[in-house]
Amino acid sequence: MQREVGSLPLAPGLRARLAAAGFQTAQELLETGPCGLSKEIGISKEEALEALQLVRQECHGDAARTAGGLGTTRKFTALELLEEEQAQGFIITFCSALDTMLGGGVQLTKITEICGAPGVGKTQLCMQLAVDVQIPECFGGVAGEAVFIDTEGSFMVDRVVDIAAACVHHCQLIAEAQQEEDHLKALETFSLESILSHIYYFRCRDYIELLAQVYLLPEFLSEHSKVRLVVIDGIAFPFRHDFEDLSLRTRLLNGLAQQLIIIANDHKAAVVLTNQMTTRIGQSQSTLVPALGESWGHAATVRLIFHWDNSQRLATLYKSPSQKEATIPYHITPHGFRDVQPPAVTPNAQGTEMNPRKRPRREEEKQ
Amino acid sequence: MAAKKLRRAQLSQQLCERLNRCQITTCQDFLCLSLVELMKVTGQSYYEVQKLLCKVSRACAPKMQTAYEMKLSKSVNPSSAFLSTTLHSLDRVLHGGVPCGSLTEITSPPGCGKTQFCIMLSVLATLPVSMGGLDGSVIYIDTESAFSAERLIEIAGNKFPTYFDSDEKLFCMTRNIHLYRELTCCSVLKRIMSLEEEIISKKVKLIIIDSVASVVRKEFDTKLQGNLAERSNFLTRGASMLKYLAEEFSIPVILTNQITTLLSNGPAIQADLVSPADDLSLSE
Repeated sequence: MQREVGSLPLAPGLRARLAAAGFQTAQELLETGPCGLSKEIGISKEEALEALQLVRQECHGDAARTAGGLGTTRKFTALELLEEEQAQGFIITFCSALDTMLGGGVQLTKITEICGAPGVGKTQLCMQLAVDVQIPECFGGVAGEAVFIDTEGSFMVDRVVDIAAACVHHCQLIAEAQQEEDHLKALETFSLESILSHIYYFRCRDYIELLAQVYLLPEFLSEHSKVRLVVIDGIAFPFRHDFEDLSLRTRLLNGLAQQLIIIANDHKAAVVLTNQMTTRIGQSQSTLVPALGESWGHAATVRLIFHWDNSQRLATLYKSPSQKEATIPYHITPHGFRDVQPPAVTPNAQGTEMNPRKRPRREEEKQ
Repeated sequence: MAAKKLRRAQLSQQLCERLNRCQITTCQDFLCLSLVELMKVTGQSYYEVQKLLCKVSRACAPKMQTAYEMKLSKSVNPSSAFLSTTLHSLDRVLHGGVPCGSLTEITSPPGCGKTQFCIMLSVLATLPVSMGGLDGSVIYIDTESAFSAERLIEIAGNKFPTYFDSDEKLFCMTRNIHLYRELTCCSVLKRIMSLEEEIISKKVKLIIIDSVASVVRKEFDTKLQGNLAERSNFLTRGASMLKYLAEEFSIPVILTNQITTLLSNGPAIQADLVSPADDLSLSE
């Protein structure tokens, strides 16, 4: 009630007039009433009423905050948070080594960033996650839907069809082995068509479309409340060209990160971003580092770096608030993102992506 | 989309004029400002400005499609999803051939056959759909002056002797291949930007750029300061325009690249890895 007039979210012109008329606190405004206000500062009665309603709403919000009730601020004890986190599901990646390294899988309400050179498997993992988020709860999934924002055009529907078919097959095998009723019931709705219909795809061609789409996301997510995953494939691509003013870029990126954190928390969704690598030219040598600069490194909660070691793909957990730094190998098979098979078993068919840096795999020809 | 004028975003005339006075005319200008700046410029309250932001965003944002709709629209016309290269093992590995709607990069050391492959694909694209072609024209941007029209006719005549049985048919095919010789990065970029209208008017079904690396390596020396950023800028602008064209018209785009040596930190006796020449940004 003692809130200063200057801090209220009114139009700047109105605020200036109120200050000129001598009003200092919100309490004074409410006491004056709409008619008195309109006479004193020279605005219409309707405008005065609108302004007062806004002030009342703000003060009500403030009061709720100070009383410690529910509302826009979140106040929890650590115990409540612990219970919430333990009840929350993870989005599995079908690569058990990666899931273990991440502590169960991709966490909801957190931003995970995947960096890597081209061809290493970032988009493959994103497509895998868009399918895995839809796994029904009885199979260990979160039964959610996915939003896929594509800035690079690397989303291939046929590939998603392959991955989804393999996932459905996997669940069918589990259901057959365990023969429980709710498994079979869930399988009725978990089909290829339903998986594909619940991946919402947006193709953004430049950074303005991306910004616009992220502004509209909260509304979209309120309409589609089952969405549990938002993937932005290629957050670096639209920001890496045509930007003479780097400070504008930093500002826009920071704003984007803030909005994504709010979205992740409000809608209990996991946000997954993919980033490119750039060359940092040092004194004696140059290294590959994630693109978009140092300040972008603070945006993501969890950072994974995918890279090559001769012909093996590796994933390194570079930044995480709860898990240890580690590196694990992974494989990309026709069925999607998988573990590396142990050497005793015959290895799966070669990955669907060719990397010209790879030495030719002569041992595969024996099969 | 970004350059869309605000008055077409259904903002009121009065508001548009007010914003014009502050040099804010397009959606891009509007969305780049922070909320507080927008409040100052529009003179409206916080919640009003948020609603305006949503309105302008709706004018720029892309349309939503579900993956299922995408699959259905693709399966309506399956033969147009790939351009078969007529090399069976290559087609098998590529799951059908060169994909339509995306960029394909061909890389090799000199003399391996990139230009020959491109010339052969140009012939294939002009063939009718019944023979595995795309029944359309080809835009060939040549930066190395390596394209040989005689070789083109030789390939066409020898590969499809029954189809190209008369000179008339051969010349008809050559009329459909539009060759542009561009020798600088600037002219290549200008040419790429002007392609949209040509694709529609000439019914183009294949774009080939042979090669991107030669112009880039000629003009940008990455050891000089500032060149790396400019080169990456040029490449990403070109790449995003080509991706837009490929997706919009559902045509394949083929780029050729050269080989460079990635020097490892180890001792010189180890074999050096070879990797594609251009910056990582192009192959994204």
